[in-house]
Amino acid sequence: MSKISAPRSNREFIEACVKAGDAVRIKQEVDWENEAGAIVRRACELGAAAPFMEKIKDYPGFSYFGAPLSTYRRMAISLGMDPASSLPEIGKEYLKRTNSEPIAPVVIDRKDAPCKENILLGADVDLCKLPVPLVHDGDGGRYVGTWHAVVTKHPVRGDVNWGMYRQMMFDSRTMSGAVFPFSDLGKQLSEYYLPRGISCPFATAIGLSPLAAMAACAPSPIPEPELVGMLSGEPARLVKCETNDLEVPADAEIIIEGEICPDYKVEEGPFGEYTGYRTSPRDFRVTFRVNCITYRNNATMTISNMGVPQDEGQLLRSFSLGLELEKLLRSQGIPVTGVYMHPRSTHHMMIVGVKPAYTGIAQQIAQLAFGSKLGPWFHMVMVVDDQTDIYNWDEVYHAFCTRCHPENGIHIYRNTTGTPLYPFATPHERKYSIGSKVLFDCLWPVDWDKTNDVPTLVSFKNVYPKDIQERVLSNWTAYGYPAVK
Amino acid sequence: MNQWEVFVMDMGELAEGKDIEISIRTLNPGMHKYTYKHVRAQVSSTLDKFPDQLQVRMGRGQLSPAKFSIKVIEEIRRLPPQYS
Repeated sequence: MSKISAPRSNREFIEACVKAGDAVRIKQEVDWENEAGAIVRRACELGAAAPFMEKIKDYPGFSYFGAPLSTYRRMAISLGMDPASSLPEIGKEYLKRTNSEPIAPVVIDRKDAPCKENILLGADVDLCKLPVPLVHDGDGGRYVGTWHAVVTKHPVRGDVNWGMYRQMMFDSRTMSGAVFPFSDLGKQLSEYYLPRGISCPFATAIGLSPLAAMAACAPSPIPEPELVGMLSGEPARLVKCETNDLEVPADAEIIIEGEICPDYKVEEGPFGEYTGYRTSPRDFRVTFRVNCITYRNNATMTISNMGVPQDEGQLLRSFSLGLELEKLLRSQGIPVTGVYMHPRSTHHMMIVGVKPAYTGIAQQIAQLAFGSKLGPWFHMVMVVDDQTDIYNWDEVYHAFCTRCHPENGIHIYRNTTGTPLYPFATPHERKYSIGSKVLFDCLWPVDWDKTNDVPTLVSFKNVYPKDIQERVLSNWTAYGYPAVK
Repeated sequence: MNQWEVFVMDMGELAEGKDIEISIRTLNPGMHKYTYKHVRAQVSSTLDKFPDQLQVRMGRGQLSPAKFSIKVIEEIRRLPPQYS
């Protein structure tokens, strides 16, 4: 693999973004109560540069970095690529790196770990000493974790999990969060800790390198510390926690250590969610008791502001879900041309391009997609042929509206795994995480005669001889039209 | 006077004339703003009946026009002792 020069910390990433014009330094004081969140939200909705807020009311010495990965330009920067790289180029690079050899992390001495520059223990532990923002007006609380990794480890198998489970500050030492039962952490809790009544050690890492955040967000089967190494081309630097045996990213800005309580729950939510709504009900959820806080000098807290498109929850989750499904389908020998989720679908619709090699291929794709660990995060699969550009919504929409048979092309799967976050779900379905799924099969049936039954696509590219196309293209400006980019 | 806020799914959760158990968050300015306590309290739609003020939000964060006064009788510690 050629040398990768990706930012190794949140600080290096901010500098790279500022240099590329993809982050702005905000010097004036910003209020942690709503104002910071509103800035991030507006930046997301405009597709604007990421706000680096250097002065926070009530919290001297701290800063915020918002909307870290809400554009493909910043995603390219995070991977050490040209910010102008196209989405297919970024996707190709992600697949290349994540199909490479795993790179194991290294554990460094705590004296070399920036995240240990300040340590709060015992009576000094107070989450309110951190500039925890009220992200949206009307949220159920101030959210500590919106762009972070919750680190846990299976006590028997030793599996390490970094996951992005939102965390609300309930009081000075307690957080509550949405951990769905089908998630890695949810399974770990229900399989081991809850039946035994044992608390689960956790560490929340905030202000990660962008590739560590990408790994925490990706639904990859590869352990996240190794995935970070593969994405960045060098071992992730970890350091042991102060109060448990977990290892956390040494360059993170803030680390919160503690235990997940098996026998104590407090309320969480409501919260502005990636779907663009507040949907999931306020409820008693997984509860995190905090025992220690460590942080860098002049620590920067990262903020993701979920809402209407587009924020990094939608963009990065769409990106990684699509590419992980592509890997899964290729591993099964399915001749896919690509998989794409448009971020504006709030990662609800998977668009799959495939060579229609045999009957039922669209159903096979849908069953694999919905039946995989990726499945609970989306409820629509649209399958188009290999002549349709999956990144071009005009082409996909045309295929959907003209090739998907209302009776034969739409397949509904009932009583599947869902989430309380689905805006369309009934209150009963939200309460019990009951889902339903739909496949839109936009392929011409294989048993149609290709000459007489399959309609001919009438487009410039498809119906004119090559020499006519070239003549028209070369004379386009001579006809009086402006040049086409 | 302290200012508090509560989230409810239904206004019936704020029954008057009897002790109720609710989680309330402080709206007092300062770094602990929005932290919660679980309390036994009495509430009243008569704003000067009790010493503190209570603002209400519904289940999805909508601010209710209804206002209450509140008397916090005691904080209820739900936390098991091993986590203290």
